[in-house]
Amino acid sequence: MSKLRDSLAGKLTAMNMLVSGGALLLAAISFFTYEILTFRANMTTNRTVEAQIIGANSVSPLIFNDPAAAEKTLSALRASKHIVYAAIYTNDGTFFAGYWRDSNSKAPLPLSVLKTGEQERHWFGDDQFSLVQTIMFEGKPVGMVYICSDLQALYDRFKSYGLILLGIVGASLVAALALSRIAQRVISKPILRLAETARFVSREKDFRARVPTTRDHDEVAVLVNAFNEMLIEIQKRDSALQESERQFRSLADSIPQLAWMGEATGELFWYNRRWYEYTGTTPQQMLGWGWRSVHDPAQLPAVMEKWKRAIETGEPFDMIFPLRGADGTYRDFLTLASPVRDDKGNVARWFGTNTDITEQRRAEEALRQTEKLAATGRLAASIAHEINNPLEAVINLVYLARKQPENARKYLELADQELERIAQITRNTLGFYRDSSSTKEVDISEVLGEVIALYWRKIQFKKISVRPDYGNGIKIVGFPGEIRQIFANLVANAIEALSAEGSLVIRASRVTLRDGSNRAGVRVTFLDNGTGIAPENRKKIFEPFYTTKKDVGTGLGLWLTLQLVEKHHGSLRVRTSVEPGRSCTVFSVFLPERPQTV
Amino acid sequence: MIMDLQGASVSVFPSFGEPVYPPGGSSHERLDADGELEMKRMRVLVVDDEAIIADTVVEILKQEGFDAEGLSTGTSAIELAKEWHPDVLLSDVIMPGLNGIEIGMKIREIAPKCRVILFSGQAATVDLLEQARRQGHKFDILAKPIRPEQLIGLIKGKSPS
Repeated sequence: MSKLRDSLAGKLTAMNMLVSGGALLLAAISFFTYEILTFRANMTTNRTVEAQIIGANSVSPLIFNDPAAAEKTLSALRASKHIVYAAIYTNDGTFFAGYWRDSNSKAPLPLSVLKTGEQERHWFGDDQFSLVQTIMFEGKPVGMVYICSDLQALYDRFKSYGLILLGIVGASLVAALALSRIAQRVISKPILRLAETARFVSREKDFRARVPTTRDHDEVAVLVNAFNEMLIEIQKRDSALQESERQFRSLADSIPQLAWMGEATGELFWYNRRWYEYTGTTPQQMLGWGWRSVHDPAQLPAVMEKWKRAIETGEPFDMIFPLRGADGTYRDFLTLASPVRDDKGNVARWFGTNTDITEQRRAEEALRQTEKLAATGRLAASIAHEINNPLEAVINLVYLARKQPENARKYLELADQELERIAQITRNTLGFYRDSSSTKEVDISEVLGEVIALYWRKIQFKKISVRPDYGNGIKIVGFPGEIRQIFANLVANAIEALSAEGSLVIRASRVTLRDGSNRAGVRVTFLDNGTGIAPENRKKIFEPFYTTKKDVGTGLGLWLTLQLVEKHHGSLRVRTSVEPGRSCTVFSVFLPERPQTV
Repeated sequence: MIMDLQGASVSVFPSFGEPVYPPGGSSHERLDADGELEMKRMRVLVVDDEAIIADTVVEILKQEGFDAEGLSTGTSAIELAKEWHPDVLLSDVIMPGLNGIEIGMKIREIAPKCRVILFSGQAATVDLLEQARRQGHKFDILAKPIRPEQLIGLIKGKSPS
């Protein structure tokens, strides 16, 4: 049965056999029915004729009451071997004479009486046919004939017909089987080959296979051609896909970054060659969550937390963390990962890269050092200027005092003033170069006073009015030189921004932050009514190398200032307006009472 | 600090009177046919935004027998040069307004024979010199502090040692 279900050929054969067998059966039934009806009609006719003959010959024995003569007439029935019993009855139904085929059981059978006016009746009983007929003489009934015959003839005929039919059916079925085999070759074979090819393609994933075509133009041929064309199309797409995959891999292998792909669940299943080269791992080690083994154990929990959050939200991931190289040392990588979404917008997979930023960080650090040196150099130059000028004056005054002894006292007093100027400058500026490796108590108002003194000449020249608005004794713990530099940069910026006769208001006060941290510290604001900062520049002013003063600035001042503020765990904000007549800029520095211990 | 923004020459000293003449000899002493010293005093224009420097240099030069004028801004110096025709310009470099190099170039237009001597307390003047060189001007800058004897020697025409 299962074979029948699995095979189209079996189904076709079974169908053929069923149709042939059914047709034969229908024919046989019709034939048999006809035979029965014919047989019955013949038997009725034969028995009726026989009954009439016997009746005609029995009139005189009945009239003359001669049963022996009647029996003699009846015995003639011996020639008809199917008649089992025949008898003559008088008009009132009394047995008159009889015939029995089997002479051992000579008993008269009861006569079923005819109804009034009925001349004849016949019926088929169990294995028997019975007939009763009235014997007429001169229009009047004189007696009755009763004939009973068996149906053996019918059975014999059935038996022989059955055998013949069986032979015909058998032969027909054999012929049908042979014919269906031929039909299969035409119909089922192409379909079987189609099925075989489909099985092969799905098993081997080899889209080069083709179904052999026939010269037919039927539906099967159309199906075969369509299937082959589909295979050609799939083969094309498959090779295009493989080509695209090859290109992607060679691209991914040629980029300097480490690259990888992950499932929507966060497990990674593919890495580019550089990943394996850098980490010195094998694909087996890296499967699933294997990537965790090249992370710094101290930082892994933070990475996992952020990665899991990205997986949950489907938001792009970016983070800087170290990865262990094949040589066992860690290098810093900037890691970016983006979700790749399917048609429905669900995250199908993740694609990520790790960019080695160790060198970049070193370069930045070197740049910071260079900038510190450059700033030191500039400061040294301006200090030199501040010292060399009074020195020039002192030398001149001493020369004059020597040449003009009478005016020596006046010259030496002037020289003394100039020397005091030099002393003042060195006192103020040397603060910048004190060892800043340790924190100490810094008096904010004192530092601000020194910074203003440093720029006093510039302030005076531009006729800038500086209004200090702070009390004494505001102290925090920090690096004195750096705090001085923060204030010096902001004051210098304000002076640059101000035109002649502008004003600079410096305020300093103790504050407690209301940002939830409740940190206590000092806020120092520098308000100038200069030109303000144009909106397009506001975002960039804290970037290194950004300057609007190309001839005098390096573009590192505010960037360095921010670095120093952040080193103190403080914050630096700017508010500015360029509205004509009301333009101004406020730099606001918050420095905590003491830097947090790291 | 005394500043002179109007361009007028202001001395920080009381008047010391005319310098002794002729003191230790001047660069412009020439013998005429009669053998007499015909003295034409050399004119030196001193510019420095630090008045004390301009004033002391002027005082020293006067003592040495020069005709010297001190000013604290470039514009006032150029104005004066138009009438006074200095022989030597001695100027600071980094100053508010016109810098020493700009003053030097202007003075050379007004008085082509005028020698220009620049002195500066700062080393960061390389860019300014380069800028001047591109415009066809060559200047040397002396470093402050400079000893008066050396300065006098230079003005008299000796090359700096």
